[in-house]
Amino acid sequence: MTTDPGETPAGTAGAGTADLTLDAKVAAADVPPELLAQSLAQYLRAWWLRVRGGNSGVLPVVLAIVVVAVVFEIITPEHAFLRPSNLVYIFGLSTVYMVLAMAETPVLLLAEVDLSVGAVALTGGVIAFKLVQQPGPDWPWWAAVLTGLVCCGAIGALQGTLTALLRIPSFIVTLGGFLLFSGILVVVLGGANGNVSVSTSHSNQRVIFYLVQGLIAPVAGWVALAVLVGAVGTALWRRAAARRRQGLTAPPVGLTAIRIALVALIGVGVLLICTVNRGTSLVKVQGVPWVIPIVLVVLGAWTLVLQRTRFGRYVYAIGGNPQAARRAGISLAAIRIWAFAWCSATAGLGGILLGSFFYGEYSTNTADPGQLVLYAIAAAVIGGVSLFGGRGKAIHGVLGGLLIGGIAYGVSLLNLGNLATPLEYILPGGVLLAAVLVDVVSRRGSGSVTRV
Amino acid sequence: MSEHVRGTNDEEFSVTSGSGQTSAATADADPADLTLDAKVAAAEVPPELLAQSLRQYLRAWWLRVRGGNSGVLPVILAIVVVAVSFQVANSKFLSAQNLVNLFEQSTVYMVLAMAEIFALLLGEIDLSVGLVMGFGSVVVAELVQPTGPGWPWWAAIIVGLLACSAIGAIQGTLVARLKMPSFIVTLGGLLILEGVSIIVLGGALVSIGNSRFTNEVVLYDIFWGRFDPVVSWILLAVLVGAAGTGLWLRDARKRRHGLEAPPRSLTAMKIVLIAVAGIALVAICNVNRAHSGTIEGVPYIIPIVLVVLAAWTVLLQRTRFGRYVYAIGGNAEAARRAGVSLPAVRIWGFILAALTSGIAGVLFASWQVSLTTNIIKTANSYVLLAVAAAVIGGTSLFGGRGKTIHGVLGGLVIGGIYNGLYLLGVSSQWIDVVVAAVLLAAATIDVLSRRGAPRQA
Repeated sequence: MTTDPGETPAGTAGAGTADLTLDAKVAAADVPPELLAQSLAQYLRAWWLRVRGGNSGVLPVVLAIVVVAVVFEIITPEHAFLRPSNLVYIFGLSTVYMVLAMAETPVLLLAEVDLSVGAVALTGGVIAFKLVQQPGPDWPWWAAVLTGLVCCGAIGALQGTLTALLRIPSFIVTLGGFLLFSGILVVVLGGANGNVSVSTSHSNQRVIFYLVQGLIAPVAGWVALAVLVGAVGTALWRRAAARRRQGLTAPPVGLTAIRIALVALIGVGVLLICTVNRGTSLVKVQGVPWVIPIVLVVLGAWTLVLQRTRFGRYVYAIGGNPQAARRAGISLAAIRIWAFAWCSATAGLGGILLGSFFYGEYSTNTADPGQLVLYAIAAAVIGGVSLFGGRGKAIHGVLGGLLIGGIAYGVSLLNLGNLATPLEYILPGGVLLAAVLVDVVSRRGSGSVTRV
Repeated sequence: MSEHVRGTNDEEFSVTSGSGQTSAATADADPADLTLDAKVAAAEVPPELLAQSLRQYLRAWWLRVRGGNSGVLPVILAIVVVAVSFQVANSKFLSAQNLVNLFEQSTVYMVLAMAEIFALLLGEIDLSVGLVMGFGSVVVAELVQPTGPGWPWWAAIIVGLLACSAIGAIQGTLVARLKMPSFIVTLGGLLILEGVSIIVLGGALVSIGNSRFTNEVVLYDIFWGRFDPVVSWILLAVLVGAAGTGLWLRDARKRRHGLEAPPRSLTAMKIVLIAVAGIALVAICNVNRAHSGTIEGVPYIIPIVLVVLAAWTVLLQRTRFGRYVYAIGGNAEAARRAGVSLPAVRIWGFILAALTSGIAGVLFASWQVSLTTNIIKTANSYVLLAVAAAVIGGTSLFGGRGKTIHGVLGGLVIGGIYNGLYLLGVSSQWIDVVVAAVLLAAATIDVLSRRGAPRQA
């Protein structure tokens, strides 16, 4: 399948001859627009061409978030959806979907799938919670969290090994893993009525309790934001400058400035929302919840790993064309096993955050592992990660997770009575199918598809 | 998914070769036989097509087994292992009372596995069979409610099966026409179906257990009803007579027309085997299994499962559609170039999977008697058992290999594991763990046996 030949000339009809060559080149080669564009106008035009060619990046999910926000703001009673208290709550609710979707991303990039992330996440969470029990193991919180993540990583490595070395289809391996760890989870919890919790009365357990709900004081929040924006801005600016100095392809100066301004703007917006008092006039609740920097750190780490390391490049290479990657000398098995291991470890963090979100209590009713994994895959695919491998970024998982969480919370605000429970299933299912449909159709329309 | 699987297979073909294995297996045979055996092993044709005597047949069969094409042998071994080990652990396991219980329990797994086999043969997967079953059961139970629609039982069943088939048609269209991966389509489909089923249930408990209404009684009896012992024996005699005559006449006609046919002794053995299995089954079912009073006779569901088995076996083995299913599962591109309409066959495959899940739904409704939101969730978890049963039975995950009978045998293994562990007082989460391990083991065997098998050109 190739690009519709009629499309490229139509899109660039008003441009000069020199631009036409550039645009056609961009559309055909599917390269990031900043690599070829020399000015902001050229960049925007190249970007628009990519979007029209089916490589729309985060645009659809950002639009979907805006639509969901506007629609729910209009239809919820008292127009409560966009209240600061609700927005902060939605972020907390979405955390587990965001982290699980980021966990799923490297596996989806390899054109595999991990159906066990939900069960593994809960297992990791329960392990960490068990290890800080007093009386009990009473480990320091960091050791407990680390052990939980390592256990999950080992589970992932095991599943990855079965997939990569024996070539058992990943959905079967992880389907088995899902069943296995859903069972083990209940056993670890201590039977069908078992539960495990952390409280604020122990200084050690308090850290885990506050992972999601803990608040950063407004002043500290502003200071941290200033430092963060300063650091990110300087890094972005210096990197672009260094590239320009050495004659490498670099984004236009205007674009770098716009990016820095955007980061600052979003940061200020989030902080303004979070510093509004969400409690009463007597008991003030204000400040940025801890979970926001935690998600940002995970996002930053995954973005760096996927975009800037050899491992990341190999993941994209295998997802794009495993045969070509193998012939280029990449060890398919090693990369696949590591991807599954990192996926499960990230899922484990999601599980710990989930327990923290539910006020530090874990029981067999805390979350349905089957539903978690569906939401995680849906979030990643809705965000823009392709199911066919080779396309997607960590940020897609975050945005998709936010959308899923927003829909879930919006529906719960609507007082639908009997319809509320079924809609919890129907909406994500419908959104998942719609997202895959968009993925499939956009792949078909773009020039980069090699498979029929 | 199919693209992905095909790609991985190509990878393997280049790495492994089964040529060393075949020659090793035939090293000790005499030269005349060697040609025959090598031919059989290489062409991977059913042994009865080439063998002229029972001895040759058995040797050809053994070569096939060694070549990785072991058919039902592993699953029968698994059934024996399950039976022996649970009998050792608990002497009640092989009692007539428990065996009938086990058969009844297994029927739902069997029918659901037969549904999944349609998708697996095409190299696809249907993760929604469990919820299609749940949805079908809810629809049927709702339609016969005297306080609601109050339809006759047969109309309710027909509409329930049609509704399920429609779901299969939609999912199949998305997979076949839009080329969406089947596991995602059916994943999304099962989520939506879960919601729809809860809506149909209306948040209430729906029961078919009221003996005052004939329609409910008929539905209830599908699972819980049974034939009179005498009727059971008569039915068995008729069935064995019909099957035996059919088999014998077919082989005789083939021989008369000079076509390749199995040796006469093999046909006789097959008929005897059917008769022995049937007599054992009826004898077990006719033992009185009630603690007080009498409960005896063959449950209705056993012939029902046999009818589904026979229908789908004929469809897959003897019709053009069945051949196309195997062709697509074996090599979709080759099938396409041979003029097979891939979308049409795939869509029908998904429709048949959903229809069979609907049949399982009727059994499920009858088995559970009362349906609630929690029962719907239970139904969803059955998809894993269905996939496990099909793969344990011998159906390949990679398409093109498998038969309907595999679903029945695999379902029996799953039912045996559930029943046996339950008898031993093992909690349900550990049973899940065991089933997961069995699923992974079956998938590993599938992959390894594919690797060891001599490849077709």
